[in-house]
Amino acid sequence: MSVLGIELRRSAAAGAALLALAVGVAALYTAPGRWSQGWMSLTLTVKEYMILLWPIALAAGAWQGRREHRAKVGELFATTPRSRASRMLPVLVAMGASVGLAFLLVVAAGGMRIASTAAYFPPDVVAITLVGALSLVAAAWLGLGIGRLLPTLVTAPVLAVAGVLLVFFTAIMRPDWMGAILSPAYGSSPFYAFQTIDPRVTAVLALFMGGLALTGVLLLVARGRRASVAAVLPVLLGFGVAAAIVPRDEAALVAPVDPVARELVCTDDAPKVCVTRVNANVLDALTPLARQGLAVLAKMPDAPTQVYEDRRAYLIEDAPARDADIVTIVVRIDDHGGLAHPDAVVPEMVFGLGTGYGNPECERNGAVERAAAYHLLGREPVSDVGVIPEMIEEEPQLNAEAVTLWQGLQKLPAPEAMSRVTAVRDAILACQDPTGLLSR
Amino acid sequence: MRAVSTAETATTIHPWAIQAEALKVRAGRHLAVDGLDLSLATGVHGLLGRNGAGKTTLMRALATVLKPAGGRLTLLGSSVDGRADLRQARRALGYLPQHFGYYPRFTVREFVSYLAWLKEMPKRDIPAATQRAIDRVGLSAKADARLRTLSGGMLRRAGVAQAIVNDPQVLLLDEPTVGLDPEQRLDLRELLRDLGTDACVLVSTHLVEDVVAACTEVVLINEGRLVWQGTPAALAEQGDEHHPGDSPAERGYSALLRRHLAEAAR
Amino acid sequence: MTLHLRARRVPLALAASVGAAALIWVLWLTFAKERDAILLLVVLTVMLMVAVLSTTLAAPDEDLERTAALHWPWRRAVHLLAALALVLAVLLATQLTGARFGPAALVVRDSAGLLGLTALCAAVVGAARAWFVPMGWAVAAALFPQPGTWGALTTWPGQPHTSRPAATVAAVLAVTGLVTYAMRGAARRE
Repeated sequence: MSVLGIELRRSAAAGAALLALAVGVAALYTAPGRWSQGWMSLTLTVKEYMILLWPIALAAGAWQGRREHRAKVGELFATTPRSRASRMLPVLVAMGASVGLAFLLVVAAGGMRIASTAAYFPPDVVAITLVGALSLVAAAWLGLGIGRLLPTLVTAPVLAVAGVLLVFFTAIMRPDWMGAILSPAYGSSPFYAFQTIDPRVTAVLALFMGGLALTGVLLLVARGRRASVAAVLPVLLGFGVAAAIVPRDEAALVAPVDPVARELVCTDDAPKVCVTRVNANVLDALTPLARQGLAVLAKMPDAPTQVYEDRRAYLIEDAPARDADIVTIVVRIDDHGGLAHPDAVVPEMVFGLGTGYGNPECERNGAVERAAAYHLLGREPVSDVGVIPEMIEEEPQLNAEAVTLWQGLQKLPAPEAMSRVTAVRDAILACQDPTGLLSR
Repeated sequence: MRAVSTAETATTIHPWAIQAEALKVRAGRHLAVDGLDLSLATGVHGLLGRNGAGKTTLMRALATVLKPAGGRLTLLGSSVDGRADLRQARRALGYLPQHFGYYPRFTVREFVSYLAWLKEMPKRDIPAATQRAIDRVGLSAKADARLRTLSGGMLRRAGVAQAIVNDPQVLLLDEPTVGLDPEQRLDLRELLRDLGTDACVLVSTHLVEDVVAACTEVVLINEGRLVWQGTPAALAEQGDEHHPGDSPAERGYSALLRRHLAEAAR
Repeated sequence: MTLHLRARRVPLALAASVGAAALIWVLWLTFAKERDAILLLVVLTVMLMVAVLSTTLAAPDEDLERTAALHWPWRRAVHLLAALALVLAVLLATQLTGARFGPAALVVRDSAGLLGLTALCAAVVGAARAWFVPMGWAVAAALFPQPGTWGALTTWPGQPHTSRPAATVAAVLAVTGLVTYAMRGAARRE
């Protein structure tokens, strides 16, 4: 029966690890759609849940760090030859290993679900996950140190709240580079599927958390007031070194792009359909739908012949120049990693009449465009609610107007109707108001 | 005798396991041990004294919890003066504090093993030594029970088990009989006699009958100083029927104390 | 009475709870641009004060206290209500300052509900561990409040102050906690 074994069984280590595991897995599985897209979205989601896990580890450490004081064993232990540092080693290992392992298991529990559908495994995931585990170890050790320094019953709950506030406010604080160093949840807000965390940002978090962990250890084993004060040196040093090497440019800090994840993966045969590497697993499901959309658009002259996934990094980039040959579409992923809302693919391709993003400064007319698009689709216009997944409500008048225009088109001879629809498309491209083009 | 290097300490037999010369120890601001001269060899020594005589403070100083404020204290040949490396002496020490702190979640076996580890016993010896210590205090049936489930008497015996797990050469037991029922006290006396054959055992108590039954020597202190030291038989001879007490030893104890107080008052 | 309070470490808990709330208030006053604190901060401040005060719900020796022939149920109820009054007084006082922790309805709902839940937990698992469940619930609910009636019931501490289901859960917890704790006191453990 080793002492480490005793500590694993009798300290707060197992309880803290089980709690962190349960909370992490429960948080993941209440909203699987947030991370079904792939390994990076899983990693970022778990990193966001650090706001729950980090305080748990911190409070558990504080709870455990109070043990010797609570049990009043100080006098007995003072008569033993083993040094304080050596005495604390098993509990440090037990707490650190348990919460670190719990974090890895949370990631693994999510990984099981996406392993078969995730098309791309970015190497950054490994570093982010390991540093996440390190962050939890640091929290547990810091808690142990503070719990020993202030062995009161209120220390653990106060640290739990402090932990939540710390993770939350450092994750959103300005300047960004400071948040990148301080917050174990920094950079976890997902903006697009090919997002990543810059390896330098992961490295500076590791530096700071390493310093914090060491500070916790020193607080735990320190003898005397001076040693306790000296214990803050590692965390200051960690912060100092991290501040010296942390990237300060927005591109590296705010939702940086993983270029490999954003590369296009395309069909071999024409008409070409391409998705980003992250979403490569839905290419087969998307291809027939996308080609169906192309066929609808092809009723107009000079219609596009390729479909690309929309891969703008809209936080840091402007819309790219339009390529007349390409339609861009949004690819959505469902809770199980498959293609979500397949019924929306064709309508969404047709709604812009293949014009792309368009210029936001140009006059547009929703009713006219809808009537034109539904004419191509060959059915009566309906409200976007229920067709476009994100649409929650719209003015009923809009669709009534579109239906009237559409009925007008239906009464015209087919070539005349198609030429009017094409005129709408050309007007959009030329940045002219298409109002009235269908009902001349 | 003073020139024993620490490396030899563990194995060398010292004529005096505990040696105090003009020892002064503070309890708070008050000098609770004030100029005590005491030499103890192998055997079971009963430490007697009234409440506040300095028994617990002396025990704590001998256990290296408190640092001497003056005089000299030597444990197993190594000097305890605050700066010395106490490691060797502490490895050969067993201590049951008056207020025995323990981890309630641990089982008896776990807690005793933990203390064996704290006393830096070789890892492979710990399981057997733990079992033996638990058997010797009669807790075998409760070896795997959590400490928080034990009664006061069982806890006291678990405390003795942790104290003896390393086969200490100096064993300090502060009130080990508190909370024990009569039968358990008899068992403990027998254990003490057994331990005293090759270790220096110092038992603090205010029960004279325990001392007579289990000890080879009686140490009586008052106001931090040695009043009397001798065998239980010699203690019994100190008093007569005029002195209060239910047994010859108790009458001897009161006689000695009365005489000492009378001298001190003069 | 003074001894009774000291035995339960009331002075420390009072200082810690008011001090912690004051610290959060100062931080918001200094760093935030808005006057009204965000919901997460309000809920966590309430929870922090409740958790710290909950350590006073058990005396070091409950058995000894039970033997004293006093009207314990009433005393315990008053103890809880005094804790609630303290939390409310401190947080509602911020309404007059440059950093407001409100709205008042939310503070009242969460203080009463979380204190009731904490008292309930104290009666079941002991005062030392009483804050585990309410803390976890409050943090999770304030960070990830869910929409809908079921969402409002399960994440009541993080709902807007107008939510009726959330207010109902809080009221039930407050009353259940008050009654259970007043009748049984804190559970003994370790």
